[in-house]
Amino acid sequence: MSASQRPALVAARRVLARKGAFMAASFLALMAIVAFLAPWILPGDPLTQNLRHALEPPSAAFWFGADELGRDILTRVVYGARTSLVTAMGAVTIAGLIGVPIGLVAGFYGGWRDAVLMRLVDVILALPGILFAMALIAVIGRSQLAALVAVGITGIPSFARITRAQVLSLRRRDFVIAVDALGGSASHLMFKTILPNSWSPILVQVVILAAVAILLEAALAFLGVGIPPPTPSWGEMLRTGKSYLYEAPYYAVLPGLVLTLTILSLDTLGRTLATVLEHRQGSTGEPEPEGQRL
Amino acid sequence: MTGYILRRLAQLLPVTLLASLAIWAMIYAVPGGPVGAMVGENATPEQIQAVTERLGLDRPVLVQYGAWLGKALQGDLGLSLQNRQPVMELILERVPATVQLGIAAILIGLLIGVPIAILSALHPGSRLDRALSAWSALALGIPTFWLGILLILLFAVELRWLPSASTYVSIFESPGRAIMSLLMPAFTLGVYVSGIFARFLRASLIGELHADYVRTARAKGLPERDVVGRHVLRNALLPFITIVGLMLASFIGGALVTEAVFTYPGLGRLLIQAISTRDYPLIQGAILFILVIYVVINLLVDVAYAWVDPRIEYG
Repeated sequence: MSASQRPALVAARRVLARKGAFMAASFLALMAIVAFLAPWILPGDPLTQNLRHALEPPSAAFWFGADELGRDILTRVVYGARTSLVTAMGAVTIAGLIGVPIGLVAGFYGGWRDAVLMRLVDVILALPGILFAMALIAVIGRSQLAALVAVGITGIPSFARITRAQVLSLRRRDFVIAVDALGGSASHLMFKTILPNSWSPILVQVVILAAVAILLEAALAFLGVGIPPPTPSWGEMLRTGKSYLYEAPYYAVLPGLVLTLTILSLDTLGRTLATVLEHRQGSTGEPEPEGQRL
Repeated sequence: MTGYILRRLAQLLPVTLLASLAIWAMIYAVPGGPVGAMVGENATPEQIQAVTERLGLDRPVLVQYGAWLGKALQGDLGLSLQNRQPVMELILERVPATVQLGIAAILIGLLIGVPIAILSALHPGSRLDRALSAWSALALGIPTFWLGILLILLFAVELRWLPSASTYVSIFESPGRAIMSLLMPAFTLGVYVSGIFARFLRASLIGELHADYVRTARAKGLPERDVVGRHVLRNALLPFITIVGLMLASFIGGALVTEAVFTYPGLGRLLIQAISTRDYPLIQGAILFILVIYVVINLLVDVAYAWVDPRIEYG
């Protein structure tokens, strides 16, 4: 049984049948569409400054007010969604492309390869994710790429661990033993036999890590070490908004609200996905997936 | 028991050493290398010569790491570039503030989270349970820094009850002022803790409530309060200790961000300032310090788990 379209569709339908998950998916879809279409549906661009309107309260022209440089806050929040989505996709891709093969090899061969690889992964876990990312950025400098890579590396351990656990449980199953007995090569066993049957916990991890990545990117920007301005980022907006709490109390409200709703939606989706897929495949007895929070 | 602790140490030690090696080596990845990090990229040849000799950069790499680690183990983390003070002193100055914030946040988290967990575990599936579950989802999902900003907007900007920036006042010197300045940051960080307790303690309680001993206790006529308080809660806390280990990373990260929101003078703020001023010895020192604390707490959690639960084998 490989990851054909059908079981994926069934799972998607079951997830969306739940009210919470449906609302979460709708919100995320809406946000992604608006972020994608931003240049065509928004009148202004997120970088145009107009100091005459600096810190202007919400009005017909500026629905959620203007920031300290007279830029439209709503526009910047929408473009900030692009930053968040790009970071999430990039970081999860980096984490998956490195973490999944590590878990495959460690779990498949065991022995010294397992020990060495998993100890290396543990080094990443030796620090809370945000500290690891900050240390990395302190070295390589502050840029959009640095933030993306730093967030991505902190995601490697969870992919490696989840994949390894999955390999260990599949390794002794009859269909794997059969392919092995028929003379399947190690790479065929790992990538063609075991990996296609491991997609569900990995998928759950993708959703959970997307939330972690968006949160981490925002936190780094909030601390002033993330994506450098003027690129719109929710965390950066919260950072600046915090300096104008008395002059413009509405400033930090919208970016924070959208950030929180995004995290909550991804959480809900991830948890529902885990429940639905586990019911289908039988619970592994592992604790619920949970990403690092800030 | 001793054997178990030693084996856990044997697992943690290589990882910790590797991480310390990475922290030490980070200065070599900085533009200009360690010399550039110390004197800037536009240094004169004399300055470069002086720094190279002072830091012993002409020695073999492993010798340098060994020397650095040896000093670090004796509490010597070098001098801060900013004000030439010993890094260890700067760090130790900030520790009480962060510890006070952490303890206050855990207390607030317990005060909110444990009652929620018990209430919802006693009526699983009820409307109350669902409402309380929503709290834990929100508590775990809301970014600490936004929650902090909202609290400042409400209590400092709007109501003017509390200061928007928190200072560190020792609880032993002036309890009243300490509590006032801790209220918002500790609540901000405590909400996350309450979410952890509400979600995981609930799950663990529900598991225990179905156990045979609970039926026995009820059958012999024990009041429900004693059944839950004396029997269930104790047993439910066992699996829960692992969760405490899992939440540790988020808690430390959350503390870091919370300190930034309230400009609270703790360890996290020290590190952020060090990064923005490129004070590399201070960055390395602070990260190494947090690494050691993190590893030690993780070890303590393991040991506590084995000690509390006699079923765990540590032979």
